[in-house]
Amino acid sequence: MAIRPFLRNQETPFWNRYYETMPREQLDALHLHRLRLVLRHAYDNSAFYRRKLDRAGVHSDDIRTLDDFKRRVPLLDKDEFILLQEERPPYGDTLAVPPDYVAHHCETSGTTGISLRIPYTGYDTERYGEAWCYAFWWLGVRPRDTFYFAFSWGLFAGFWSAYWGVRRLGATLYSGGGQNSEGHIRMIQKLRPTVLVSTPTYALHLAEVARKTGVDPASLSVKFTFHAGEPGPCAIPAMRRQIEEAWGARAGEMLGLAEVHALAPSCPTQQGVHVDETGCFSWSRDPATGEEAPEGGVGENIITTYVNNAQPLINYQTHDLVARYNQCECGRTWAFFKGVVLGRTDFMTTIRGTNVYQAAVENILGQIEGVSHHYQLVLTRVSGLDRMCVRAEPVPGWPAERFLELARIIEERIHQALQVRLEVELAAPGTLPRYELKTRRIIDQRPKEVRRILDRV
Amino acid sequence: MDREPMLERIAGARALLREVIEATDLPLIERALLLADMNLHWAQWNLGAPVSLMPETEYTAERGRNPE
Repeated sequence: MAIRPFLRNQETPFWNRYYETMPREQLDALHLHRLRLVLRHAYDNSAFYRRKLDRAGVHSDDIRTLDDFKRRVPLLDKDEFILLQEERPPYGDTLAVPPDYVAHHCETSGTTGISLRIPYTGYDTERYGEAWCYAFWWLGVRPRDTFYFAFSWGLFAGFWSAYWGVRRLGATLYSGGGQNSEGHIRMIQKLRPTVLVSTPTYALHLAEVARKTGVDPASLSVKFTFHAGEPGPCAIPAMRRQIEEAWGARAGEMLGLAEVHALAPSCPTQQGVHVDETGCFSWSRDPATGEEAPEGGVGENIITTYVNNAQPLINYQTHDLVARYNQCECGRTWAFFKGVVLGRTDFMTTIRGTNVYQAAVENILGQIEGVSHHYQLVLTRVSGLDRMCVRAEPVPGWPAERFLELARIIEERIHQALQVRLEVELAAPGTLPRYELKTRRIIDQRPKEVRRILDRV
Repeated sequence: MDREPMLERIAGARALLREVIEATDLPLIERALLLADMNLHWAQWNLGAPVSLMPETEYTAERGRNPE
């Protein structure tokens, strides 16, 4: 019988104690060295970065301190890449490796409805997966555990990266691809996995489906649940309670951006997440002043990844608002985001793991004949799942007998562009509130305890 | 084992691998050892060694790209 090569030291709470407890001064010295490598790599190999850094008059040799990096290297936003990729598919001149180095392609939602395409090298995918090992290990998961992935594999990187992580950990993986909710419950009963991987709202929905079929999910084999793609159990205490009670399990999460990295695994205290400082450099920027936010203050998380070298992201604006701390009771020295992501600097929300930008919906509506520019996006929670309803107004004079057809067209166009199904309701012309341009049109009717902290006001 | 002796041995292993990678004409062996080298580089990275960003490009620069 083959001996499975499990790890010798499974009692330690650290996946890599050396790095997880590295003093801040040493971490920062390593970051400075690595940021210069990333800048050099991007400048030498990506026409986009050559232009951007030449325009800013900054090069890797000019970066002597982390402060130099934060202040002198220009910020990057997703839209800059999307435009270039549309001009010259698939990646424009954002690629920093020869095309034959691209081992995996994913995509993620863009702000205007056009996806951002994301190339990874083979080594990028290994580094990306490693972050999940921290997350799994810290929660108590070990290589003998068995993972059930309650989702179908597609273009979104999130759970691909979790899969890469399970491979690196050496655990067992069961794919739930192609199953509906009842099918997932049956598979879990038959295969008896110890870890459930899904979006957090889907875990709640699955629990409800189980109960409706007469199965108590807490009686099943699942001991841990792991989540990504939406605000999860370390961001929203009410959600953690609901998931853990429903499944009789311990819940963790990963904060990630597909194009950047699985950048912050959940702390064992479940009060927030720690930045994976082997895989990226992160700092917080006050969006009002542009200055670095103080410890504990709310700022936008700005990231430079060491993990996506196919398409480097340097001083990248995540638009996530975080409260960053340098200390944590768990003993790790990696930056700690208490409450994970507290809100956004833009008008974006997440529906069933898919990022939905208000601007993207607005653009789509603007392209459909018969639809006015008056609309609302209404968020509700039903059976544990978030739902978004697009309330749109036809233009004055649009025949009432064509309302249903128009609603269907809107629904289909949104689905095609954003890869998510949103409900559509047409309101009679003149009945929706009138907004100033660029104001938030997302009406959140979900219970406050399931919203991010800054979304509860 | 402490960090320094670990790093010494890992660097030594990479040097040994490189000899075989350079000399073999068996694609399977070459690929297996390139993957092994990637993991050794990753071990160095995670022990805080100031290694390069993309070791895979170091091989390519010396040995040429995929044929067109």
